[in-house]
Amino acid sequence: MAEATGFLYPFLDAAPDDPAALLGDLSRSAVEKWEVSVALRRTTVEDLEGDLAATADAMATLVAAGGRVLAFGNGGSAADAEAFVQSCASGPEPVPAVSLAADPAVLTALANDIGVDAIFARQIAAHGRSGDVAVAFSTSGGSSNVIAALDQARSAGLLTIGIVGYGGGALRTHVHHCLAVHSDSVHRIQEAQTAVASTLVGAVSRRLEERGP
Amino acid sequence: MTAAPGDALASAALRLARRFHAGATLWCWSPVWPSHAEHIAVEFIHPVIVGKPALPAVALPANDAAARLRRSARTGDVFLAIGSGTDAGTADIIARAPAWGIEPIWLAHGNEPPGGTGACVVWLGPDAEAADVVCAYHLLWELTHVCFEHPGVLEVADQGSVCPACSDAGDLGEVQKATDGANANVIVAGRRQRVDLTLVGPCEAGELVMVHAGVAITKLAGAARG
Repeated sequence: MAEATGFLYPFLDAAPDDPAALLGDLSRSAVEKWEVSVALRRTTVEDLEGDLAATADAMATLVAAGGRVLAFGNGGSAADAEAFVQSCASGPEPVPAVSLAADPAVLTALANDIGVDAIFARQIAAHGRSGDVAVAFSTSGGSSNVIAALDQARSAGLLTIGIVGYGGGALRTHVHHCLAVHSDSVHRIQEAQTAVASTLVGAVSRRLEERGP
Repeated sequence: MTAAPGDALASAALRLARRFHAGATLWCWSPVWPSHAEHIAVEFIHPVIVGKPALPAVALPANDAAARLRRSARTGDVFLAIGSGTDAGTADIIARAPAWGIEPIWLAHGNEPPGGTGACVVWLGPDAEAADVVCAYHLLWELTHVCFEHPGVLEVADQGSVCPACSDAGDLGEVQKATDGANANVIVAGRRQRVDLTLVGPCEAGELVMVHAGVAITKLAGAARG
């Protein structure tokens, strides 16, 4: 087999090009990775229990005072940011939120006219008000355009939150609250980030519900 | 906890790899949570592992998916639906898939999809969470690329299809425009054919018919286009 995923599938090196044998190997591998994913999600949410509670408290306080969530990220993390914004609208008490990764006209205009480092920071400059909440998704924790947007947000008086892989990466020092996943697999990190994001939205929504009108 | 759908993911990955190998585009649709479709498309277009080939994948918008597929999918393409197993829009597209010449994969959570739809089903169970869905399509992407490293499994002969009325060759077709005439243009396996409607009578746009030797021999119930 080719070298690139050999490290992921060492047991396939000897496998013949026989569909039945391959399907068996693929299925076993999928089950193993699924179980790794489930375990990582569980331990991540457990380890972050205190951080999640503190983050949810801070978010709920700002949202209750009229703040709005601005979420962003690149690639798969852009999709995760959009899912986060959608789930903000679907809890028991809706959380006002906008995705900064959803509009290709805005994103390509900024990328083309200014540069890719400006695609979120410029939108934070336009949308962000003191008391809003910037939620950044970054698997690597090193995306310079995400960090630029967080710095912009912080200077404009927003609360900044990172849902981040690789233990937080460079992004860790640019946010008020860093919810970090510890893994070296991009995909397992994203799955755990999804679990963290779901837990956070649920916690914010419950706090808003408890506060009442 | 949702059980790992290992066998279903393996089968779906092999089908998808074979279709990509033959030149397919993957059309992803997640009507309720559109971000899933976008996430899948970016996985295939821009692989997380450097050196893996970019594969053509498109995220369909939540609305208008059927019309886009009808216009833009090519024979041999793959349709990947992500959502509830009782989503009527997904079931409708899957029912038309043979007429358009596309292969459906249904990554379902919540309710279980009905049997006999012709789709390759990966069902995550009633309690699947968003992270389970993300994990399932990450693994689908990864297993598909593993299949590419075994070129011997990628070539398959066309299986053809069989008419349920006569056990002979039969193909599902979708009527293009309403007609009360004796003939209609019908899309069969992604190609337009002139088909004799004498046996089935007038047809609405979007009705599905079984076509055998250039003749529509029966209508399929409940398939008029909305």
